[in-house]
Amino acid sequence: METSRDDFGIAIRSAFLRKDTKQRFSLFALIIISIFLIFFERLEVKFIKYFRSAVQDTIYRGSEIASYPFKKFGNSIDFLDDHFNLYKNYKDLREENNYLKTKISTNDFLNLENQQLRKLIDDEINSENNLISFRVMLDKQSPYLNSFIINGGSNKKIKNGMAVLFRNNFIGRIVDVNFFSSRVLLISDLNSRIPVIVEPLGHHAILSGHGTSAPSLEYLPEKHNIKSGNKVYTSGKEGIFSPGIPIGETKLNNNRVEVLIYSDLDQISFVNIDLDLEDKNN
Amino acid sequence: MAVLVKYFKLNFLKLLPLLFLFFISLNGNSVIDFKILSINIHYILVYFWVLRKPQALGYGFIFLSGIITDVVIGLPIGVSALALLIIASVAAYVRAVTVRISLINDWISFIPALLLANSIYFTSLYLTSYSFDYLYLLQNSIFTFIFYPVLWLFFNLLLNLMKA
Repeated sequence: METSRDDFGIAIRSAFLRKDTKQRFSLFALIIISIFLIFFERLEVKFIKYFRSAVQDTIYRGSEIASYPFKKFGNSIDFLDDHFNLYKNYKDLREENNYLKTKISTNDFLNLENQQLRKLIDDEINSENNLISFRVMLDKQSPYLNSFIINGGSNKKIKNGMAVLFRNNFIGRIVDVNFFSSRVLLISDLNSRIPVIVEPLGHHAILSGHGTSAPSLEYLPEKHNIKSGNKVYTSGKEGIFSPGIPIGETKLNNNRVEVLIYSDLDQISFVNIDLDLEDKNN
Repeated sequence: MAVLVKYFKLNFLKLLPLLFLFFISLNGNSVIDFKILSINIHYILVYFWVLRKPQALGYGFIFLSGIITDVVIGLPIGVSALALLIIASVAAYVRAVTVRISLINDWISFIPALLLANSIYFTSLYLTSYSFDYLYLLQNSIFTFIFYPVLWLFFNLLLNLMKA
């Protein structure tokens, strides 16, 4: 029995502490460093933040270069796919065009009405000119995080919590800002919780991501009358986002109210951020 | 000339596991998802090479690749590095206690490595207040385990080429 315990101890020592012929570090030391790094992640010390930003910026650039050939390859496949589906796409677009033409007149009227109502409640109407575009540098959808990296950071006055739009639709918020890059957490992510309002009923709710393309509405009133097709906008309750940014439409799925997002989150190359919003809110 | 070509070929083959390690880290392809299939090739790569030829993958490189993965994917820095080092630790322990190498032995010993690494992974993410799908993690563990022999055969082929 004693011998067996000794063997176990020797094996453990050999595995964790001993540096083999070509190993410069012991496993034990590296595990301790990893644990320290995880704890450092929680610290909001300026020096650590700067160090983290520099490391992240460097790795993002490296990753962008490393994934360049695959991005190009993927684009070529998409191009070929588009080419082969040209006729079908043309038919779909014609149908969509007819549908949109009928919608335009209704939308013009609604926009006008919306502006007048906002003036009535003394709300600020934001000009589209305040939007600044950023390129999506890295789009690595992990199973745990639905996020991507954009090519602007504190150098472009981006701050944590800012709303990120694709065209004029809300798609996520900034969660991590480095010097030259920032991470956007998409509304489909498990960690995403956005205060929203459902129109025309005016119900307030929280839009929660589930890691899939269809986030759902939570904390709705018990007896709500939400129907498929109701519009979902940011409510601005959190104080960071401007109210009334379109997100998507509701879709009833059993007892769950899912939201079909207006933007296709897999096809985003450029995003817009309203940098003036932060100043206005402050 | 032929000697030179052979020398470069051999050195390139020796570097392949390391190149593959950094390639999947920088590309954010640690986990391959295809419909319900979800395989963590990062774990398999580290486990196999630490078990069979530890000189091919230094612990420092494994740590660095874990840090890169965390940054690229967007997890707290250190989480993947810790999980990969746990995998490497179990592999190093198994290497120290086993004499005969076979696919079945490697495969079975991969179970505790996988369970331990994913438990640590889960705990680290939980402590840093990250929400994630528990069921997905379980599904990923199962498919990574099932897929292990496929990559084992491929890496074994590479190992034989290195020896040749």
